[in-house]
Amino acid sequence: MQDKNILEVNHLSKKFGENEILKDINGTVKSGQVICVIGPSGAGKSTFLRCLNLLEKPTSGEVKFEGTDLTHVDGKQLLDLRERMGMVFQSFNLFPNMTVLRNLMLAPIRVKHMSEEDAKQTAMKLLKRVGLDGKADAYPSSLSGGQQQRVAIARALAMNPEVMLFDEPTSALDPEMVGEVLEVMQELANEGMTMVVVTHEMGFAKSVADEVWFMADGYILERSKPAEMFDNPQNDRAKDFIGKIIEAK
Amino acid sequence: MKKNVKAIIQTILLVVTLLTVGLIQTNSAAAADTSLQRVKQRGELIMATSPDYPPYEFQVNKNGKSQIVGMDIDVAKKVAKDLHVKLVIKSMNFDSLLVAIQTGKADMAIGGINPTAERRQSVDFSKIYYSGGQSFLINSKDVNKYKSVKNLRGATIGAQTGTLQYGLAKKRIPNSTVKGMDKSTDLVLALKTNKIDALGIEKPSAEAYVKNDPTLKMIPSGYHLNKNDVGAAIAFKKGSTSLVNAVNKSIDQIKKQDLTSKYLASAGKYMKVNTVNTSMWHYWSYFAKGVEYTILISLISTLFGVIIGVVLALMRFTKQKWLRGLAISYTEFIRGTPLMVQVMFVYFGIGVVINIPALLSGIIAVSLNSGAYVAEIIRGGINSVEKGQTEAAESLGLTKSDMMRYVVLPQAFKNIWPALGNEFISLIKESSIVSIIGVTDLIYQLNIVRADTYRGVIPIFVAMVLYFVMTFLLTRLLNYYEGKMKHAG
Ligand SMILES: Nc1ncnc2c1ncn2[C@@H]1O[C@H](COP(=O)(O)OP(=O)(O)OP(=O)(O)O)[C@@H](O)[C@H]1O
Ligand SMILES: [Mg+2]
Repeated sequence: MQDKNILEVNHLSKKFGENEILKDINGTVKSGQVICVIGPSGAGKSTFLRCLNLLEKPTSGEVKFEGTDLTHVDGKQLLDLRERMGMVFQSFNLFPNMTVLRNLMLAPIRVKHMSEEDAKQTAMKLLKRVGLDGKADAYPSSLSGGQQQRVAIARALAMNPEVMLFDEPTSALDPEMVGEVLEVMQELANEGMTMVVVTHEMGFAKSVADEVWFMADGYILERSKPAEMFDNPQNDRAKDFIGKIIEAK
Repeated sequence: MKKNVKAIIQTILLVVTLLTVGLIQTNSAAAADTSLQRVKQRGELIMATSPDYPPYEFQVNKNGKSQIVGMDIDVAKKVAKDLHVKLVIKSMNFDSLLVAIQTGKADMAIGGINPTAERRQSVDFSKIYYSGGQSFLINSKDVNKYKSVKNLRGATIGAQTGTLQYGLAKKRIPNSTVKGMDKSTDLVLALKTNKIDALGIEKPSAEAYVKNDPTLKMIPSGYHLNKNDVGAAIAFKKGSTSLVNAVNKSIDQIKKQDLTSKYLASAGKYMKVNTVNTSMWHYWSYFAKGVEYTILISLISTLFGVIIGVVLALMRFTKQKWLRGLAISYTEFIRGTPLMVQVMFVYFGIGVVINIPALLSGIIAVSLNSGAYVAEIIRGGINSVEKGQTEAAESLGLTKSDMMRYVVLPQAFKNIWPALGNEFISLIKESSIVSIIGVTDLIYQLNIVRADTYRGVIPIFVAMVLYFVMTFLLTRLLNYYEGKMKHAG
């Protein structure tokens, strides 16, 4: 199981107009792996992540999810594949017009055609897991940022995805709330969830990542074990970048 | 003679008629004349009239029930009786009478219509059943100043726009300034407030005003006129010879027995009933009915407007180019044409194909109109939903329609709730245009009360207050709910 390729990216490129953000991205994510993606602002990390579940349509190249090239399917099939990839956003993006519980139940009922009771049961279990079962009937706007992001993780998990994509899940949070979210993510990783995480949280990366990818100029310039990446980067751009984030701490 | 059509409305009506007549070729005069046969088979004679013109036709409030009476109504009743059919009265704006018969909304139109050569080109007329003669209304205080028409030289004279009186005053009173207005009630008011010195009006109407208002006096016009230009006749759709002949038989009897004098006398009695009590309280049921219809039309139209608006807005967000194009064209077209024309088009135009009652026509037209405006509001609301919301929905595998239904539209509606409330409130005001096809909304009722009571200003004031109370209360109510919804998160 450990060796199965969940995601495989070949020669991925993405242009916005004339602006080529991703030039030639290659990489594989195996089942159970945790990949952290780092890189300077504007490097295209978010764009890369969004290409993985086709929120952004790649200009060329392949994105294979369990062997199926997503760039060549559309409509119903794409939705089927997409529901198996969870995504967590920097700005949480909870649906403000429904309670926390309804946020978690919507997709299972509408997409997976789960019964109301089953969806509720799953949702309550997940809320308990992220420590928010007491907030089931609250509206998102009454929660703190950290709580909202934990709900967002639970919402993605409610679809029982095979891989979770995180786009800087803690960077919109007040510092005292970062810990509670990272904790949830760490538990997920420990349980064997396959994860691609864009983050600059070195502590998190060091303790859970199997690999750290450094992205700049539209390429992945270096991939290493976390300890190596942060303590002894090889690529000059990476060296420079890591120097800066350590300085900022 | 009586109210005529302003040039602009006439053009509009002409376009509507041409359009619809063009659409339905069977409508042409070449078809066999089944006019009489149709009326007999139906057992009903449908008559169009504009009941705000005493003593010809007006509404009375008798034993709490509103009913249309007057000389013309008695003439029509006699005609129906002679044909052994039931009389059905459809009330509408005078401007719409001829269109109503041309488009088959009614078998005949009556309302002090002069069979002028111009009108004979588009409709058929019965024989003349009444010749009233022309006169002028003046203020009592001016009786010494304006002893006869000769003294009117150089005066400011009022008349209904486009009517015979208007043309006569222009041609025959030297150096006069002629002021045109739509409604005789407005003209009387202008006279009483000294905006005009005299009012050119038909004799029976003038007599009615003088009887009911001691501050007014009448002087004869002294015009010598062609009979066709002053008499009143019944109008029919072109080619209705059999029906016209049958009706003429009744008119012959009316003339022989001088029934119109009898009819006028009884109309006079009704007018007394009306003017015994001209307090606005006495007419509260008229205003209540107007308010009821105004709210009904606005409410239903807002609801359907929202449904149409949602559909149009969603069409703008689809991938299908033609659907988008259709939605854009519709919106542009509706926003580029006046509501008044749309109302007339639905009632008269579409009415040629399917017979839609006036109230329903009004609701349909206002809904279609409102839909175009609501679509833009909703589109703005949809655009105001953060992109992150659709991305989150997409990432969960929701279909586009589920995403709209559960995520985007609820949030869009929350954002645009105040704008939709405003749309409802503005419809309360704008829907007043449906009065032209005879829907008994507040404006229509207001004109009835003005015609019945001979009081020009007070009914306007009452209507104004009623409109304000409605919109004010609604604004409060909407604000209250808006606050509540904000609370809900
Ligand atoms: N929809 C779009 N249209 C045009 N340009 C875009 C679009 N999305 C992103 N870009 C551009 O692509 C570049 C990369 O953006 P991206 O958000 O992927 O970077 P990032 O590495 O995630 O940066 P950050 O650390 O600031 O989040 C930026 O210059 C951005 O302006
Ligand atoms: Mg980013």
